This record gives sequence, structure tokens and C-alpha cells, in this order.
Amino acid sequence: MAETRTLGEFLVERGVSRRAFLKYSSYLATLMALPPSAAEAMAEGLAKARRQAVIWLSFQECTGCTESLTRAFSPTLEDLIFNFISLDYHHTLMAVSGEAAENARLQSMAENKGKYIVMADGSVPMKDGGVYSTIAGRTNLETLHETAKDAFAVISVGTCAAFGGLPHADPNPTGAVAIQDIVKDKPVINIPGCPPIPDVMTGTVAHILSFGKLPELDDLKRPKAFFGETIHDRCYRRPFYQRGLFAKSFDDEGARKGWCLYEVGCKGPVTYNACATLKWNGGVSFPIQSGHGCLGCSEPDFWDKGGFYRPLPTPLASVREHVTEAAAAGAVLGGAAAWLARSQQNAYKSETKKPEEA
Amino acid sequence: MDLLEVARGPALQVSLAIFVFGVTWRLLGLLLLPWRTDHSEPRGTAPSAIVAVLQANLRKMWPHKTFVRATVFQFVNGYVFHVGLAIVVFLFAPHILFIKSLFGVTWPALPSNLVYAVGAITLFSLIAGLLHRLTSPVLQLISRADDYISWLVTLLPVATGLLAIIQVGARYETLLALHILSICLFFIWFPFGKLMHAFTFFLSRGATGVRLKHRGAQI
Amino acid sequence: MTARVTASGAPYEVQGEVSDKDRLNHAMRTFLKEFGAQASIQMESCVRCGMCANACHFYITMQDPKYTPIYKLRPFEQAYSRHFGPFAPLFRLFGIAPSVTIQELEEWQRFLYDSCNMCGRCTLACPMGIDIAELVKEARHGMYAAGLVPDRLELMDRTTKKWGSPATPPEDFADIVNEAAEKYGVKINVDLPKADILVTVAPAELTEHTKALADIAKILNRMGVSWTYSSGGFEASNIGFINGDVELQEKMTRKIIDRAIEIGAHTLLLPECGHAYGAARWESARWYGKQPPISILHMMEFLAESINSGAISVKPIGSTASFHDPCQVVRRGGLKEQPRDVLRALGFEIKELADHGPLAFCCGGGGGVVSCARADPLRNRAFEIKRRQVEDAGAEHFVTGCGQCRITLTMGAKHAKWDKKTESLLELVADNLEGE
Repeated sequence: MAETRTLGEFLVERGVSRRAFLKYSSYLATLMALPPSAAEAMAEGLAKARRQAVIWLSFQECTGCTESLTRAFSPTLEDLIFNFISLDYHHTLMAVSGEAAENARLQSMAENKGKYIVMADGSVPMKDGGVYSTIAGRTNLETLHETAKDAFAVISVGTCAAFGGLPHADPNPTGAVAIQDIVKDKPVINIPGCPPIPDVMTGTVAHILSFGKLPELDDLKRPKAFFGETIHDRCYRRPFYQRGLFAKSFDDEGARKGWCLYEVGCKGPVTYNACATLKWNGGVSFPIQSGHGCLGCSEPDFWDKGGFYRPLPTPLASVREHVTEAAAAGAVLGGAAAWLARSQQNAYKSETKKPEEA
Repeated sequence: MDLLEVARGPALQVSLAIFVFGVTWRLLGLLLLPWRTDHSEPRGTAPSAIVAVLQANLRKMWPHKTFVRATVFQFVNGYVFHVGLAIVVFLFAPHILFIKSLFGVTWPALPSNLVYAVGAITLFSLIAGLLHRLTSPVLQLISRADDYISWLVTLLPVATGLLAIIQVGARYETLLALHILSICLFFIWFPFGKLMHAFTFFLSRGATGVRLKHRGAQI
Repeated sequence: MTARVTASGAPYEVQGEVSDKDRLNHAMRTFLKEFGAQASIQMESCVRCGMCANACHFYITMQDPKYTPIYKLRPFEQAYSRHFGPFAPLFRLFGIAPSVTIQELEEWQRFLYDSCNMCGRCTLACPMGIDIAELVKEARHGMYAAGLVPDRLELMDRTTKKWGSPATPPEDFADIVNEAAEKYGVKINVDLPKADILVTVAPAELTEHTKALADIAKILNRMGVSWTYSSGGFEASNIGFINGDVELQEKMTRKIIDRAIEIGAHTLLLPECGHAYGAARWESARWYGKQPPISILHMMEFLAESINSGAISVKPIGSTASFHDPCQVVRRGGLKEQPRDVLRALGFEIKELADHGPLAFCCGGGGGVVSCARADPLRNRAFEIKRRQVEDAGAEHFVTGCGQCRITLTMGAKHAKWDKKTESLLELVADNLEGE
């Protein structure tokens, strides 16, 4: 359905004052570490924004990303903005199903050619012609190619879409790959996380709506505003890390005192996300605060990094395995060298002439 | 596989295997050579070889008074470096975790901030050592490539470790990967250069200690 | 035998009509022949710290890095790495450890013979405990086999092979002894068929210091023990031990020990000499495979034991004395207290040199250095350390227990126009026996 009102008009209708709207824009700008002047620009941009068509494609996913996104404790401006978006296709959220649903997608693609955003969650299986995930009898690969063709941008939501996630984990039986491995000719934004923080998803979309372009991305195509720092650098338990106070196991003295969880496998130092600042469930907590180390869920292959409880400074693979062989080989060569030296010496000794009698 | 995975995975496996291989080769190649026995009668009661070896090692930890002044740099800087490195390697929590993953043993760590300071001191002592080697006529005559390579593979872990904790130059995971890779390099070089003195010093001191003690003299 | 100069201007002397290739071969083979685990471990242990330089009197006085003790071993360390070490086959395969060249060995003659007394002070300074002195001694085995020793040491070697002693043929030995007996009015036993103690001599005692022959005779007679000199085994100094001629070293050691056993002696008494002690007391077991069945005593040891047990007593002289510790007997031999016991019995107040006992500086003449005129300038420079320490100690008497040290210190004093006399411990005891 074509929406002719701007977002600004829409919000006014819903009783949101201009003051509240400006406050929200400041909040968004601050969140994304944009300069103060950006707040006004964002406000103006958002106010003028036309309804954005979004096609949400779900592939090999658990629907956790959608669940995260739709967590709402009370109606927030984010919800309103999201309502402002024309979510023309979403397996879980849309009313229709079957052929009607597919037609809705195709129609949106045609009406918003070159302007719609594709948001995808879940990885795409490639093995055996991609038969391991199909919708309406068509493989995910086909659907993705078809839908991304005329899109303005593609946003990979969740680690599965961004990097392959759980299906991609060893042994990857379905040959799962990330969206960016398939979509090569369109701007791609990765919003990883298992699931991503709701504010991160909405904030990114709000940025696109306000400024009409993609936010600054890091080399893994993640918005720097939310993925520019590690958990470790913003973790409230950092002073304990510095002082060398660690929980050695769950529920020991250190754990109960809230010490650093490095030794029970926290991947905070190598994980880029906003959990330590934005937190979850409306800022209530995040895994470390609740006593469990960071899983590193917004990083590629986090399932295959040796285990959630294997601390960072330990080898990933077994070192012991080859040590016996190495020692045996060394012993053989050492013994051979000594034997060679000894034989050489004995040869020299037997060469010595007998001393003449005085 | 990103750099950190390579470092923590195959790089560590391969380098530690090479380390074990090389050290075993070199040590056995020495220990299996013929051992010379002194058949002459000792002065006084024959000292137990083990006691003589231990005594020699203990005495060699401190230079004779008459040598202290002339060798004060090697003596002091040598200890600053070795003790500093030992503190960093064995009393820093992440390192203890690494050792625990290999050997199953663990012990309490020092406060990490303190270890950072010691690490910085260790770095300076390494640089001082190099400067001394470059400016001493004696050392310039007797030094060889091995001395510089061994210095470099020892410096890199200390330097990359410090870089990793101050997080300068690259992202943390890259610095951590480089730190681990520098340790791999250290392990690979170890058996083939003068770093082996870590294993041979004990017997080298011991052999002379046994010889001199047998004669009623001291090392 | 010709004196030559290397391309870099280093002097060296060479013996024998042998090709360079063969010289090199002999050197390498002889050097590696006796290498064992302990020497190998030590060859692998140098960390190039340079601390050994600061212990060596040649480096200290000349400040030339080439006198760094471990540097003296370079060609032999190379040979070890290339042919004997655990990675030797690898090094050869990849051309890493270079071959030793004959030019190197020629260059190194002066480092191994002119500027090294094998005194062992560097061994005490090395933090890795490398016995550099001992390794230099082993390196000399290779140099001798290559015919690359200083000419004088080769002359002494040939003389000794001919006469059994560098000083005199055996047939003249008894004459020298009898002359001394007459000159000093002491009865001296020579060539008794049986005796409990066989007394041996160092070459200086058959030339400059013949009084020593009478001194020990006097003491032994006073003690009333059964003793003798023997023409069939009198030479205790061991030129083979010094110059690297291992075969000669064995021959000379066997001669005196076998003779002692032959005459039924229970004790072999060595003269005031340094290397004699090392050769007989510590290395004789190498030839016999076990400790030969005889007690081997250095003169200083014998004097101290005799005084301490009351077998002899001495008159106190009073006055002050400093002692020069002969390297092979004290630092390398373990006899630190014995000379001091004797000095105290003689009533001396001992004024120790700044570096005394096991850390004493070498006289500079040991290891054959005093015999090589080529090394005189070096030796005289090194002597400055001893002189300064003796003057600083300020004692009236300056005593030692080794004839070669005495000669070296006397020569050094003469060159420096210093009037300090170096005295013999044996002579002091003999001249101050109680009841004279």
C-alpha cells in the first residue's frame, strides 16, 4: 500500500511532539557517535522520510533475530519507526501466506524498484544445489538472487546471515554461506549477533532513513557506530581484568564477587558489539553482567573457536598429539648424531700410531 | 581462518612440535656422547656429583667480587632481563592459563598491572642489552648472527605482548595473533641457537664444578 | 722450523715438512679425538656475554678484544660445530658452519700460546661455567698435531723426547745432584734402589735453582724418612701437558710414576712447579685407567703436612709476607691453605694481594708463555698487575711455591726495574728449620 505521509506527519498524528522527536533524534545521534549537529540533521531527515519498503528474507535461521527485534516492553519510538517502514514481506510477521505472500514480495519489488531494502536473516545453503532450505519450492539461493537484483541495499541481520553462523559451523553439512558471499553487486551491511541487539538493528535502519545512505562500516561491513569497540573495552568488569582478579569457575568466590570472566572463556577482548554499553532487554543486563562470559557471537565462526569455556590464551588444537612423535623423531636424530660423533672419534683413535719407544 | 585462529591453532601446534623435536635432538645428541670420568683420587672425601653440580650452579649465580665492577652491566642487566621475563611469563594470568592448558598445573598470578610494568622494564633491558652488544669492542668481535636472531625472537614476544595490552598499532585480535605468532617463532628458533643455554647452563656449570670440587678447589 | 707472518701480520711458527692439507687434517682429528659430553656441552653453552674478557690479565692490560678468552677457541669451536655437535651433519649439508682453514690455525697460534697461560681465571668468571682454560689445553693438542706450536716449545719437546727432560740427559742427572750436595753441604740421596719417597724436580732446579735440590734433601734428612732421587725418573715438569703433545705427556707421567712404584715408594713428591701438579696429580689416572697406587704430593702440600703434623718445625721469622698463588696448584689444584699454613708457621703476618687464592692473577708465564720470547712484550704488560698488587699489599717478603712463577716474576721485575725479590717457600722452610 502506498503511503503518502512523511514520517514526520505520521508521528504528529500519533501524538508525538516535535520536542520528543528532537530528543529522540539526539539520542539516536549520540548512540551512533555522531556529532551534535547531526541530531538536527537526523530529525529533519527523519521527518521528511517517505515510507521505506523493506523485504525481509528468512533463510536458514532460528527466527531469533526477529524475536530480538520485536521485543517491546512498552511502545517506543523505535516501534513507531518500524511501523513506519513498509515491511512488505516477512514470514513471521506478515498476515498472508502461501502464493499471496510471494506475490506481495514481487509486487513490492516492482513498485519500489531500486529503492527497497532487503533485510535477510539466516545463512544460505549451497550443497546439493541448495535443496536444504527452500521456500515455495525454490532454493534460498534463487530467491536471494531474484530479490537482491533491484534492491537499494542488503542488510544481513544476525550472524548466520552476516557470516554463516550456526549452520556454517563445523562440519557445515549443508554448505551454508553468508549473504555477502552471494550478493556481490549491491551494498551489504552486516548486523551480526546471535541475536543482534534490537537498538542496533533499528538504529542502523534509522540512519539509512535519515541520511539516505549507509552508515560507516568496518572491514567486516558492520556499522562502526555499534561494532567499533570490543566488549572488553567497555566492560564494567575491566578493572578486575587489569588487577588480575578472575573467577576461576562458575559460582566460586571470584564469580560471586563479580570478577572478570576471562578464565572461564570470555571472548570479550576479541568481540566487537555494543552489549557492554547498550545492553539487552532495554538496558537491563548483558551476559557478563549476568555472570557468563561473552560468547563472541557477533564474530565470524564463533562456534568453532575451541569452545565457549576455553579461555583466549590457550591453543585451539591439541598440542599434545604431536609432541610424542616430535620427541621420538628428535631422539632418533640426536642418537644418530651422537653415534656418528662417537664412530668418528673411534676411527680417529684407531688411526693413531703407537708411540715409539723412548 | 583468521590470523588469530591460525596463531592459536596450527601455528602453535607446529611450532611446539618443532621445539620438542629440536630440543630432544640437540640434548640427546650431547648427552649420548661419551662422558669423561675422572679416575684420579679426589681430594678428601669424594663429593657426590649431584651436590657438586648444585653447588656450582648456586655459586655461579653471583660473580666473584673481583669481577663485579668490570662486568656489572652483564650481571645486573642479565638478571633484570631474566627475572623480568620470568615474572611476565610465569606470573601473568593469561600465560598461566596457557601453561595450564598444556600441563594441567596452575598457580596464583600477580596483579596484571604490575606485570605490565615489569614487561616494560624487561623490554628496556633487552634494548639495553642490544646497545651494549653493539658498542662493546669485545662483543662486536665475538658476536655472531645467532646473537642477533636470538635477541629478536626474544624481543618480539615482549614487544608484541606490550603492544597487545596497550592496544596500539592494530586491533586487539591482530595484536594478540601477532603476539602468539611471535611466540611460535621463538619456539621454532629455540633449539637451533643460543637460547638452548636455558637447558645447557645447568650441566655446563655442573661439569666444571665437579672437576674443580674433585680437586678440592671451587668454581 | 721457520718464523712466518700471516696475511694479517700475525706471527707464527711452523714445524715439519707437511702439506697444509695434512696439517689441517691432523689438527681436526686430534682435537676431536678426546672430546666428550662435558666439553661438548660447554662448547654449545657460550652466550657471548664477554665477561671472560674481564678476568684475563692479557685483555685487562692490553684492552684488545682479541685476547677475549672464548675468542681463543674460535677455530676449535668451529671444528666442533662442523664435525661433532648434534647438528653437525645438518650444518655440513647446508654449508652453515664453515670449515676451518690452515690460515685460521696459523692466526690462532698466538692466541692459544702467546696470550694464554691456561690459568683458568676466565673459567671462574664465565656465567655458564665454561672451562675455557681446559678447552685451550685440548685445542693445543690439535695445534701440536698440526706442527703449529711456538718453536721453543717444539725444541723443548724434542729435547725431552731425547733426554727424558728438557734440562739434562739422564746420565748427567746424578752429577748435577752431587754437585749441589757438595756446594750446599747436604747429603742428597740419588739412585737408591729402594725408598719410601721418590723426589722429582723441575728443569729450573737443575739449572738456576739447584739450591732447591739441597733444600728438600735437608728437610727430608731431618725428618729421617727413606727417600731418593732417581736418574730413571726425575723430570716432573711436563712439556707435553703444556704444548699439546699428548703422547709425550703420557710418557713423561708414566716415567716418574712407574719408577716410584718400581722402587717401592708410597709417595711421589713433586717439586715447586705448577703444571707438574696438574699432569701428575690430576691427569695420571687417564693413562692408567684408575688412580695409580701412589700418593702424589706437591711440595707445598708436603711442607704444610710435615709442619702441621710436627714432623718438622720452623723458626718464626716474623715480618710480613705476600703470597703469589700458582694457578695450576691453587686455582686449578685446590691447595689454597697449605702455603698459608707454612707462612704462618714461619711467623709471617700475611698481607694478601688484592686478588689472592683461587682468584689470584697469573704470573703471566704459565702454559709455556715465559719460554716464548715472542710473547715477552705481552707478558711484561701483564706483569704490571702483579707488581701493583704486591706494592699495594706492602709486605716485606714476596713468596711463591712454583719455580716457573719465580722465574717469571723475577724476569718481570728485572724488565720493570723493580727491586722486589720473589722467594721460594721451600727455601724459606729449609733455611729456617728449628734446631739449626
